[in-house]
Amino acid sequence: MTPTTVTAPGVRIRDLTVVYKTPAGELPAVSGVNLSLEPGTITGVVGESGSGKSTLALSLLNAVQPPGRIAAGSVEIDGLGDVLTLGGEDLRRARGRQVGYVFQAAQNSLNPLKTIGKQLLDLGRSHDVEDLRGLVRDAKELLARMGMDGARVLDSHQHELSGGMRQRVGIMLALVLNAKVVVLDEPTTALDMITQATILRIIREVHDERSLTTLVITHDVGAIAEVADSLAVMYGGRVVEHGEVTEVLGAPRHPYTQGLIRAIPRLSGDISEARALPGRPPTLGTLPAAGCVFRERCERRMAVCETDEPIPVFRDGRTVACHAVDHPLALVKRKEFA
Amino acid sequence: MIVGTGVTKTYKQRGGVLGGRDVPALRGVDFAVPKGGAVSFIGESGCGKTTLGRIIAGLETYDSGDIVIDGVSMSGLSHRRRQPYFRRIQLIHQDPYSALNPTRTVHQTLQAPLALRARQTDRSRSWTDERAEELLSLVGLDPGYVLPRYPHQLSGGMRQRVVIARALTMDPEVLVADEAVSMIDVSLRLGILSLLKDLRLRLGVGVLFITHDIATARYIGDDSELYVLYRGQVVERGNTETVIADPVHPYTQSLLSAIPVLHGLERPGPERVVPTEALDEAQADGGCLFARRCPFATERCVSEMPVLGRPGEGGQRHACFHPQRRSVIPVGAGRHAGAGG
Repeated sequence: MTPTTVTAPGVRIRDLTVVYKTPAGELPAVSGVNLSLEPGTITGVVGESGSGKSTLALSLLNAVQPPGRIAAGSVEIDGLGDVLTLGGEDLRRARGRQVGYVFQAAQNSLNPLKTIGKQLLDLGRSHDVEDLRGLVRDAKELLARMGMDGARVLDSHQHELSGGMRQRVGIMLALVLNAKVVVLDEPTTALDMITQATILRIIREVHDERSLTTLVITHDVGAIAEVADSLAVMYGGRVVEHGEVTEVLGAPRHPYTQGLIRAIPRLSGDISEARALPGRPPTLGTLPAAGCVFRERCERRMAVCETDEPIPVFRDGRTVACHAVDHPLALVKRKEFA
Repeated sequence: MIVGTGVTKTYKQRGGVLGGRDVPALRGVDFAVPKGGAVSFIGESGCGKTTLGRIIAGLETYDSGDIVIDGVSMSGLSHRRRQPYFRRIQLIHQDPYSALNPTRTVHQTLQAPLALRARQTDRSRSWTDERAEELLSLVGLDPGYVLPRYPHQLSGGMRQRVVIARALTMDPEVLVADEAVSMIDVSLRLGILSLLKDLRLRLGVGVLFITHDIATARYIGDDSELYVLYRGQVVERGNTETVIADPVHPYTQSLLSAIPVLHGLERPGPERVVPTEALDEAQADGGCLFARRCPFATERCVSEMPVLGRPGEGGQRHACFHPQRRSVIPVGAGRHAGAGG
């Protein structure tokens, strides 16, 4: 497959709200999220369990499963329109053709009974690919590009491949139909350190060569820092900070981002400076109904945080949703943060 | 104090037309866990670190070598006679979601081992309730909140604390923590790590920390010792801070080089090492186990197997013919995280 000169599509997520039906009523897992993926960039979304990051990723395919439901908003992809208005055949075709998806734990998303090659042909047939030989050739090229013996891999069952190899097969299946928007959900979870470094390098290189627009979802700030151009931090179903990755990591503005970065175990630097965030991440049931979702754990909370939800403000290339960000530091002194 | 000498373990893979293949998990490992000390085993999956942890916890047998607990050799003892020794070593599982019985409340989970402990130590039944509350407070939980609850009502971090409290019911001398924080949310990991460090200081419990994430090993105490395992062999060993800051074995350097750099906050180390090939477990033995993947391997490395030598100048020991310090870990870029702190 020759690298095309077609420009990468942009993706614009607007006011996206996704709710889950629970015994306590419909609760928002993603709440009014605005996020633009610039054409040709890698955007990283980082968040802890329950932050809504995987739900956000599924929305790009309009694939939120019941009891979940996309309640409001739009997901515009250049050349495809609003994905959320697509249905039936159109939606099925868009998945794979326009939007490639590498699922969390690619090891478990492969069919254990069929060889990789057979699964590739299934994919081709379901998308009415006429030149199946060409498809196999493209797949082999992609696999070779990622440092594997294509013919051998296509003849293998998934149990014959290591975790890192399965992950690469997942990436191949997401790209082989020439999708230009690619979503990777936790691409390096459960991989060893050295394999993780290899996969991250491959993601970056393939992204550049094929001029893709890529979204990487993960809980691992380090993995994002290695590959992404921009970083969006999610908490309690909101994007609380978004900006250029080195800027966000080097000078985080939202108290959650600051606390999260301080909590990462690191190889160098003073151990005593690192500390866990107090409290725990919210779940659907414990999300506060009004005010800032992070205030329970925040060292800078003010009276207004109890009542008003902070509105994301864009300034100097950075979007931050926090009431305290414009206030001088050290407003609050609480013992547990000292 | 637990001392192991030359511990080996080989798994026999069954099946296949031509019979099984032997998979060496441990190839003669020496180790020592001092009383109240901290020791970390690091390495990739399949390096034998979990097997070693399970052997030390008495959950797995070893083929040869010896394990000596408080001066008593385990090799000569029957299974029954070993039990009281291994009781002093308790395992904390990786996955706090499957380590707790979902049909039991935290109270019930702690009652069973505590009742056993009460019988062993001639205490009254009422002691168990008191002790359960004491242990939960010790691991940083509110007993009133946690005791009546089922595991699904607790967060991952809280569950892991319950698992640690349950391990403490046996008054252990050593806790074996196998990937104890890898399934915990990032913002809470340090909390569990400092709890382990805290238990060392307050109870004098030794900690055996097994992980693939080297950075976390720094947080269980600056006196801790690090063992780097590769395919069942210890390839480098020394003070945790020393080995991380000044690794001399190319495999240790590869592992450290693979850790993502927080660009914007730090810069990559100038001499990062990338293995030349992927791990191939079926690779034939003979020579250095890492030689095939090592960018610095020479002919000697292919034909002769290096053994763990005497402590060098930094106090660390290595199994390499061509040890050389390389600067592989990230360097601070000057700006500090957490400007709000």
